[in-house]
Amino acid sequence: MRDNLREMRNCHEVGQWLQHYLDGELEPVVSTQVEEHLETCVRCGLEFDTYSRIKTALHDASALSPELIEDQIALHRLRRFADELVGHSGPDA
Amino acid sequence: MMEQEPILERDGDGSADAAFHRYVVPELPALLRVARTLTQNSHDAEDLVQDTIIRAYKSITTFDGAHPRAWLFTILRNTHINRNRRRRPDLFDDPSDVETIADHRSSDPAELVEQSAFRDAVVAAIATLPAKMRVVVELVDLESCTYAEVAMALSIPIGTVMSRLHRGRKHIKDQLIAKGLVNKKVSST
Repeated sequence: MRDNLREMRNCHEVGQWLQHYLDGELEPVVSTQVEEHLETCVRCGLEFDTYSRIKTALHDASALSPELIEDQIALHRLRRFADELVGHSGPDA
Repeated sequence: MMEQEPILERDGDGSADAAFHRYVVPELPALLRVARTLTQNSHDAEDLVQDTIIRAYKSITTFDGAHPRAWLFTILRNTHINRNRRRRPDLFDDPSDVETIADHRSSDPAELVEQSAFRDAVVAAIATLPAKMRVVVELVDLESCTYAEVAMALSIPIGTVMSRLHRGRKHIKDQLIAKGLVNKKVSST
């Protein structure tokens, strides 16, 4: 019973840090604690897996969305503009 | 703390062009995404990034080489404020108004279909997020920005970045649960 309560408290704390952990925004000490908890807690492991899949899916989807194709065209123009800027003027111009 | 020298003095090769290519060009995708949020318009966003590039090029010789993304976001934000002030001087008195503005790939066909359904559901869910929340999720998950960089880009406190990111992802997760694409045992935190 006491172990269950402690586990629940740990889950609550880890739940607050899970997304920071996913984004690499935690201090190494806290990050290690989250890692250790995820190794043994099924529920938090599922939670982390879900957020991790969402992040990966967004990254994969970005290559397919029409908005991003539009972005790629705009980026191509901007890169060309940057090249022309470097080619035709000095930074003091 | 020791003050950093401008990048060109430190490198000693006088190559402004090399510094420009090294620090500015790789950040164009992140700049364009933030510009879209600020301008709410694709054409204006591209113009804003172009102006930002010009300003960055002119000041590259004084840039110290530290935190190029944060440096560029500052230029972008200031350029945006100046452009709006010129266009709508009476409507833009407060600079804080700017704010309004694990690899799962598989070769198994069944798994690929499942991944595709999951991805489509994530895309559908993020499209329903409020714009302010959506751009935070996109900057962190697509452009790999740090929380501090997003805060700098959007002129919002880092706590706001975290809360918008968490609420945005939770919204996406809830939609996935509703569609049966995520185990219901996943907590609602």
